[in-house]
Amino acid sequence: MATQDVSNMEVPPPHPFMRPATAAMRSERRAFNVFRMATYSVLLAATAIFGVIFVKGADTIFTREFPFVNIAFLIESPETLHVFDHEGQHHEIGDREFRKYMEAHANPTIAEETYVYSAGGIFPCIVGTFFLVVGSMAIALFVGISAAVFLNEYSRGGRMVELLQLAILNLAGVPSIVFGLFGFGLFVLFAPIFASAPDPSHLYIPLGFGYLNFTGWGVSLISGWFTLAFMVLPVVITASEESLKAVPKGFREGSLALGATQWEAIRTNVLPYALPGILTSSILGIARVAGETAPIMFTAAYVVRDRLPWQVDHVLDVLFQGVMALPYHIYVVSSKIPQNAYTERVQFGTAFVFLGLVLGIALSSVILRNRLRARYRW
Amino acid sequence: MSINEQNAALSAALKGRARAKVLGLTFDDVMRYFFGGNATVAVIVLVLILVFLGKEGAGFFGQNQVNLSVYRKAGLEYVDLMRMPMEEFTGLTRGLNDVRLNRFKVLLASGKDAEQANAALEEFDAFADQLGAVAGDARGLMSDLTEVVSAVKTRVQIAADKDLERDMLRHAGREAEAKALKSEEVDFQKEIAAIKSAAGAWKPASEAMGAGLRAATAAARSAAWAKGDKLLEKLLLKAEKFAVDLPEVEVRMAAWRWDEPVPYSRSVAAFLYGREWITASFWQDWYGMLPLLSGSLLVAIIAMVVAVPLAISCAIYVSEIATPGEKAVIKPYIEFVSAIPSVVLGFFGIAVLGTVIRSLSQVEFLHWIPGFPMSERLNALTAGLLLAVTSIPTIFSLAEDALANVPRHFKEASYALGATRFQTLVRVLIPASLSGIISAILLGFGRVIGETMVVLLCAGNRIAIPDFTQGVSAFFQPVHTMTGIIAQEMGEVAQGSIHYRALFMVGIILFFASLIINYIAQKVVRKYRISIG
Amino acid sequence: MSSQLADMPSKIVNPPSIQPAADALPTPTPMIVVDHLDFYYGKSKALHAVNMNIAAKHVTAFIGPSGCGKSTLLRCFNRMNDLIEGTRIGAGEVRIQGVNIYDPTVDVISLRRQVGMVFQKSNPFPKSIYQNISYGLELQGVKDKKRLDEVVEKSLRGAALWDEVKDRLHSSALGLSGGQQQRLCIARAIAVEPAVILMDEPCSALDPIATSKVEELIQELKKKFTIVIVTHSMQQAGRCSDMTAFFYLGKLIEMDATQKIFTKPSQQQTEDYITGRFG
Repeated sequence: MATQDVSNMEVPPPHPFMRPATAAMRSERRAFNVFRMATYSVLLAATAIFGVIFVKGADTIFTREFPFVNIAFLIESPETLHVFDHEGQHHEIGDREFRKYMEAHANPTIAEETYVYSAGGIFPCIVGTFFLVVGSMAIALFVGISAAVFLNEYSRGGRMVELLQLAILNLAGVPSIVFGLFGFGLFVLFAPIFASAPDPSHLYIPLGFGYLNFTGWGVSLISGWFTLAFMVLPVVITASEESLKAVPKGFREGSLALGATQWEAIRTNVLPYALPGILTSSILGIARVAGETAPIMFTAAYVVRDRLPWQVDHVLDVLFQGVMALPYHIYVVSSKIPQNAYTERVQFGTAFVFLGLVLGIALSSVILRNRLRARYRW
Repeated sequence: MSINEQNAALSAALKGRARAKVLGLTFDDVMRYFFGGNATVAVIVLVLILVFLGKEGAGFFGQNQVNLSVYRKAGLEYVDLMRMPMEEFTGLTRGLNDVRLNRFKVLLASGKDAEQANAALEEFDAFADQLGAVAGDARGLMSDLTEVVSAVKTRVQIAADKDLERDMLRHAGREAEAKALKSEEVDFQKEIAAIKSAAGAWKPASEAMGAGLRAATAAARSAAWAKGDKLLEKLLLKAEKFAVDLPEVEVRMAAWRWDEPVPYSRSVAAFLYGREWITASFWQDWYGMLPLLSGSLLVAIIAMVVAVPLAISCAIYVSEIATPGEKAVIKPYIEFVSAIPSVVLGFFGIAVLGTVIRSLSQVEFLHWIPGFPMSERLNALTAGLLLAVTSIPTIFSLAEDALANVPRHFKEASYALGATRFQTLVRVLIPASLSGIISAILLGFGRVIGETMVVLLCAGNRIAIPDFTQGVSAFFQPVHTMTGIIAQEMGEVAQGSIHYRALFMVGIILFFASLIINYIAQKVVRKYRISIG
Repeated sequence: MSSQLADMPSKIVNPPSIQPAADALPTPTPMIVVDHLDFYYGKSKALHAVNMNIAAKHVTAFIGPSGCGKSTLLRCFNRMNDLIEGTRIGAGEVRIQGVNIYDPTVDVISLRRQVGMVFQKSNPFPKSIYQNISYGLELQGVKDKKRLDEVVEKSLRGAALWDEVKDRLHSSALGLSGGQQQRLCIARAIAVEPAVILMDEPCSALDPIATSKVEELIQELKKKFTIVIVTHSMQQAGRCSDMTAFFYLGKLIEMDATQKIFTKPSQQQTEDYITGRFG
């Protein structure tokens, strides 16, 4: 390329720096076009996925009349859909309405088709996902930020730190279903729990006022929290470490040179400046926690539950109850009920809400990160 | 203050450790240990994963050993020796049907109507009937014995259940009830003797079968109607070989011993190399990894074949070719793709993609592609394509990082020598970032192998080793995967049962697979760090 | 002294000594005594058997080419090197007011309160000017608002910054100019009233006017504090220090009254460096 390929030139160049139309240039253009096409086809495929779900889901979520949003879908519980023709009219109604209808018409015998979960809404799933995300992120942030502070501020390298970093890297690669199995084995089946009577089939420790049993927490919110928290831990640690690294060394040195203890230096001059970055990057962790199904399948999710999480007899019961969750609900409605015009409503509607939620979280992360970059420049 | 006083005060200040201590630790030490403790959580979790998967999966090989030894002692293995030739024979008759269908089609194509065609196949049908009839006695014997050994096995299982119940009663301190509970001691020797004597009828039955088969094939070979049919020719060869091999079954049956112990290694091998995963069967449960492993690999390979070129092209485009404007759009957009929950992708596969692909495969002018039209909407291809979507962002962002991390002076040096952008890319950038790109691909592969919801929803969930003898169409078969089977069956198994433990064993294999993939990826990356100095 | 001789390269004819310095000045009290100090970064030895006395309420300048160990030695005085992985003292001691600061009974936090430091790159905290100054006192548990106000004003006056910032004490310190930021860092250091102030090339990032202000300030400060300054600029060392120590390859080559170092150094290497023949 350094010399011009004269044989290829029809018109002699008016100056020596003119772009030569060599074979190399042509192949470059061709290759670049291939890369461009590949890139745009990926974007197109993604857009197709988003498009189909948003367009079809919009039928469920939005309405033509005021208030333009199908509020019932968002605030009701799932019900069974009854489809039947009666007195010359076609009906597609949920369970409660169906019972009323039957009473009103003196229980006629009608040929009906029923589809579970296809009427009503998805409110309990939204609530359950919210509970799961808040709890697991609280745990993950607490442990993750602390771990990152240790790795970035206190540790001085060496075997131990290498081991920790290796563990974090490997933890990030563990499949989510394995986390599910692990959570099932540890939290659901084995976690310590207070009980009034010993359970002879398990390890138990008498405590005077009762027994400490290792009978597990059962399928519960708290089992799901810890399972999800451990799964997302590597994400939080990595994000926190990056933010801590971005705080200039001078802040630490300056405050140590004034006689601050290491913790004082971290508390006053490192964490306050790293925290916004940590939280922003951790939002991606939220998207992951909200989106995973496999880890909660055996640890926290119920196919259906009539009570909402706060409808409990005792405050602590909040922790020890299973919940419905959006991702698990999508799994249930897409695999356990048939695909047809009647079930499509709830299937696409749920997918719309869920995808919208997760993408919203991801979007806010991107926006906040850009803002943060603009604001914090030292 | 005099100089001396000042100095004394300073010395005192230097020595002074005025800060409070608890248990010999200052507050700062406490905080340090607190943070350190949290940092070890990652290690602890890894260890706990291993411990709890191991704890739940541990008993599997022992239980499987018992499972296999009951299979032998109760005589199921013995009956399966007879079942094998019978199944092969069933395969022969099925082949015969194919031959007939083929001939029928040929006849129709030659202008005959269905009735005429059927009439022309009369001789063939007679041959088929003759062939089908030869197995009668042997098949009857086998199904009789099947019932006998099944009954024995049921008795063994009932006895085992009672033993378990008694143990639980003992544990609960209800000794009297435990004593009252009697379980039957099955006398295998007696049962097997009875079975073996009944199986004496196999020899004449099998000889008759062999003779009948030989007679039928010999007649077909000399008959005029059978000339020139290559399919039939193949089938006849198979049938003749079958007749020759048939006496071997007797040899194997004679050599079989019910009291030969099943070694532990057999139990391990049956899991690792087992070709069947059959659960809750009336006959015999098998826990073999191969169908799941091959399913996982098949889906992953499809995903990687699609994802790797696309993701790497994307990475190259974004880091080297795209305008800043494009970059600002494409990068966050792909990040968005990585945020799509896998269950949503799975749903998309069920609701949209599967149907689209199948209807595409039914388009007439695409029928030259082997395996088209597809019979199943949900198959390895559907799952593989969606898995490609999940792995593209992973591979893209890691590969893009690797490209961006190539020191700028490499690129500048190349440009300064008059290289084009493409030449610089191919000769400088890609070689310099190659190990980064390879590790990106490996991590993407790890992600695909570990992905659950997409394969659970879209892979078709048929537990069978893909039939690669059919060539490309193997990619369009429904498969089941390691992750999928755990997700699907874990909720339905009894805790502590062999099936439950088998699922945990699959989990352990997945766990180690992910560790190994990660390890290799890290090795590769480390090399790469050195190579760019 | 004899063991020190053994460590010196043979071509140095007159062994460097701290005695002339003591003679040249009217019996100053040594604030810091460095006694035969070896210092390592991992396996590489950064300081070779350094001996010196640093006089109280004087300005001592460390000069020498890059990587000669002058900053390393400075950071030994308040044990900032502890923060760097793999560093250790091989042999010898650093005594401040007779206390070996590497003794296990010495509390590094208390030490750093007595030995302040100003860094090469000004590093004000991203807080207000007022908070920057009060930070050190707050660490010591001072909460009294009046006392804090007093100290802030006194320190800012001490750092010749008061008049420039008195109207915007509560605005961000990051809004100050580079020179002002560095003087703020000095004010921050003197607010806790240390005995010693270490300055690690405090003017290297400043323009000439800001530099001269900091230099004037150093002359003011030496009335109250012992000052050790590492500098790349020989003019600066000449202008504002009383004593100068020349380092080369981790060894203290010569230490003497500044005037003497710059006019008739006893070592050839010092002369070569000062006259610009290398470095």
